[in-house]
Amino acid sequence: MAEPITRRAALGTLGTVGVAVAAGSLGVPAPAGAQGSSQALGLQESVQDGLKRVFGGRPMKDGTAIIKLDIPPIAENGAVVPVNVEVNAPMTPASYVKTIWIVADKNRIPIVARATLTPEAGQAFVGANIRLGETTDVRAVVEQSDGTLLTTRREVKVTVGGCGG
Amino acid sequence: MAGDVGKIRIRVPSNVKAGDVVRVRCLVIHPMERIERDAQGKVIDRNYNYITRVTATYLGKPVAVIDLTQSVSENPAFSFALKATAPGPVKVTLVDTHGGKYEGTADIAFV
Repeated sequence: MAEPITRRAALGTLGTVGVAVAAGSLGVPAPAGAQGSSQALGLQESVQDGLKRVFGGRPMKDGTAIIKLDIPPIAENGAVVPVNVEVNAPMTPASYVKTIWIVADKNRIPIVARATLTPEAGQAFVGANIRLGETTDVRAVVEQSDGTLLTTRREVKVTVGGCGG
Repeated sequence: MAGDVGKIRIRVPSNVKAGDVVRVRCLVIHPMERIERDAQGKVIDRNYNYITRVTATYLGKPVAVIDLTQSVSENPAFSFALKATAPGPVKVTLVDTHGGKYEGTADIAFV
């Protein structure tokens, strides 16, 4: 994405913003001030829009070699799916894993959780129980302290969806 | 169950040596309300009660901040790692969208 802003790219971005604004006003109008920054974390949107909103157009490298995404391949109950993300990377003040995102592609709210870590953690690890609405890819996106983005994904088959509604 | 909202159970390994990287597991009782829809499939607009932010500190220093959304399960369980440098408390603070603030602590003790 090093090329200068072209008309096409600019129009594309504007389109996304438009969609996001529309979703914001029709979907979940946030009660003023109550939900703050995390409301911006979990909007109802498609996964492409979500990734674009959070990461812009920044390139993502394949991190399958160092990210261990531990999640059952078949989840009988989509309401509780345990996910563990472990990154094989040093955690020193000079170089550490800054943020781990958990993304479930087909959820209404695809950006599930964001963990911001400090070097004190000693190991880049985060786990959570998440909901999955249907069979979907689950991704982990890792941002290192130098800004590098790494990602990996795995498919989870869901027998009973957990997002309801 | 309503009275239990915000109850936090934190589990740390009992067999910790100085310098170990330990994993801390937390379980919180919280409804984590999902988005509801009416018969027409329209989203009902109200302030859903779910946890937005989890802050974990060890010896007073932040270790992890986890932001959650409604895609996280009811009674969420989550875990994180920390490097045990000295015996001391692990403190977990939760904030939900209804202004609730909950806290739990556990002590890391060396054998």
